[in-house]
Amino acid sequence: MNNEQKLLQAAASVFGIDPQTLNVDSSPETVPKWDSLGMVNLIAELEAVFDVQFDIMEIADFHNLGIIKSVLSEKGIPFE
Amino acid sequence: MSLLEIPTAWPETVKSEVQGALNSRRLGAIRGALRTLADLPESIRGKRFKLGIIRTFTIETQLDSLGLALATLPCQPDISLGPLESLEQSLLDTDSDFRRTEPDAILALWRLDELHPKLAFEAPEMASESRGKAADELIERIAALCRKFTAASHVPLFISTIPMPTNLSHQPAGIHDHNGLRSVLLKINRALLNIAVESNQVHLFDFAAWTEQFGESSIDCKMDFFARQPISAAALPSFSTALARLFRPLLQPPSKVLALDLDNVLWGGVIGEDGLQGLKIGHDFPGNIFRRFQQTALNLRARGILLVLLSKNNHSDVEEAFRNIPDMPLKLEHFAALRVNWREKHQNLSDIATELNLGLDSFVFVDDQQFEREQMAFNLPQVKILPVTEDPLTILNALTSCAHFDSYRTSAEDLTRSSDYAMQNQRKELELASGSTAEFLTTLGLRATLSSVNDATLGRVVQMLAKTNQFNVSTRRHTDADIRKILADPRNILIALSLSDRFSDQGMIGLGIAVAGSTNEEIFIDTLLMSCRAIGRGAEEVMWSALVSYATSLGFRRLSAEYIATSKNEQVADLFDRFGMRRVDETGERRRYLIELPAIAPLPKWIEVIDSYST
Repeated sequence: MNNEQKLLQAAASVFGIDPQTLNVDSSPETVPKWDSLGMVNLIAELEAVFDVQFDIMEIADFHNLGIIKSVLSEKGIPFE
Repeated sequence: MSLLEIPTAWPETVKSEVQGALNSRRLGAIRGALRTLADLPESIRGKRFKLGIIRTFTIETQLDSLGLALATLPCQPDISLGPLESLEQSLLDTDSDFRRTEPDAILALWRLDELHPKLAFEAPEMASESRGKAADELIERIAALCRKFTAASHVPLFISTIPMPTNLSHQPAGIHDHNGLRSVLLKINRALLNIAVESNQVHLFDFAAWTEQFGESSIDCKMDFFARQPISAAALPSFSTALARLFRPLLQPPSKVLALDLDNVLWGGVIGEDGLQGLKIGHDFPGNIFRRFQQTALNLRARGILLVLLSKNNHSDVEEAFRNIPDMPLKLEHFAALRVNWREKHQNLSDIATELNLGLDSFVFVDDQQFEREQMAFNLPQVKILPVTEDPLTILNALTSCAHFDSYRTSAEDLTRSSDYAMQNQRKELELASGSTAEFLTTLGLRATLSSVNDATLGRVVQMLAKTNQFNVSTRRHTDADIRKILADPRNILIALSLSDRFSDQGMIGLGIAVAGSTNEEIFIDTLLMSCRAIGRGAEEVMWSALVSYATSLGFRRLSAEYIATSKNEQVADLFDRFGMRRVDETGERRRYLIELPAIAPLPKWIEVIDSYST
């Protein structure tokens, strides 16, 4: 599983949905369970999966999976 | 790593999945484990447990972890949350959505940040009197909450102590209490502890102690600011486990007995091999580990937990060691029962359970030998077995952190239970030490001598007839002359029984008299008695067997008997029933019995019988 798949899989398991339904454009607007608590779960899950810590101002900008992907890649997680 | 006590009845794969998922902190793994548990048979999942939580901060996303920890109690948890804030409304209004879930237990999780933000963040600016007043108000608020709730409901309520506020919890310990907050919190928490101590319905979750134990890593400031979710992901497994354990006594009755192995558990080394001098027990390493273990067991005893000893050893070696090793916390008299012998431990434990009249599921077993643990688990699956290795520190830690004895209260009865049992134990010490009754009796080397009565023993016979009240089926007080008359007819039987064992000779302690009827068909047991001090050793069976066999050899076809009830001979009311005789008649306090001859009357295996009657 590459890191993009890992990202989608982590989000899918948090929201309890099929990873196929997610992509980098997925956001709270397109994913019903991505509410404020969903966001808290997503952050905890991603920090555990990728063994990183997000800064507090980074998470304020987590408007879609693409942004999260780029923050992860700034933290040294390689994406193709 | 947070260790759960996972039910032994769960399959191994499930156990490791649950433990792994909880510590992984991965939501997917935790939910997967919860799904696995949902597929287990109902019988090993435990009953449904509805937990209601009122709280002042966010824990929504952490409930799966808590649910998984709770499930290991075992139970089928169903957690409902009250809305943030509105503690009073959630708890006291029976029409609130929260109360309508009808929880089996309610937990209040709160902290100063929300309960009293001014005190939490502005304490340094406040005058000392205002801080004191704020603390008193908060104490009264919580006390009133508990008072009103318990007046109207029987649901157990768990209140939390209050940790240092997040912004101050990272200050190094020992720093001067600049802002006066630490002393204020100590006062508040002391009051909360008192509320719990004084109520049978209110219990305490020491949230402050938990956060202090984990220090900085218990709180996640980022998620606290972002979503008011303070419990850190790293500390969540520990938080869930600590909370789950809090509810354990509601679902699992506390264990009552700690069954201890001896060698390499209570001391280092093997007494049979290393000898007294080679044992490691004392203040120096590694004896200090075993000493601490003994003290931990003794502290459990002070709470009313019974200690029993299961050791494969020679009893005398063990007795000598306990008597001669100086300064050992545990003494032999601290044990409610001892089994120092070479039987299998599960047999000894079963015996003890019967003797103490306790269920096997009340026992927790500690043994450093895997073989012994496996054998116990195989034979007595109800017994709880501490998961240990041969490493003495794991054995100590397993006992220190053992949840099986958890209970909310220690009653006055609990406190005296251990010493009550210990006194009984002293009276029966040798019996306890030697295993089951038959095995014990075998060790005594009992010898019964059957003899006829002559002039030299007649006095003793008449004395027994006059004095014996309890083990006496007919209580006939024959005189010297009566006995001589009975002896004059050769068809009559008069047997005296003497008993000795390897300790002492007890002399003549039993008498059996059978009187021939007018025909040669029937002979009647006129008297059967035993001295009290000989009871319980099988001497009565020896006497019975002798009566049957002599009556048979004299050519009688039937043996009859009579039980005459008195105020003192209740213990032999069913003696003839036990011997296999048939009841033929009953009038008033007299009951007649009959048996056809020849009859089977087996002798106890543990008594050597010397028959000098016939000769």
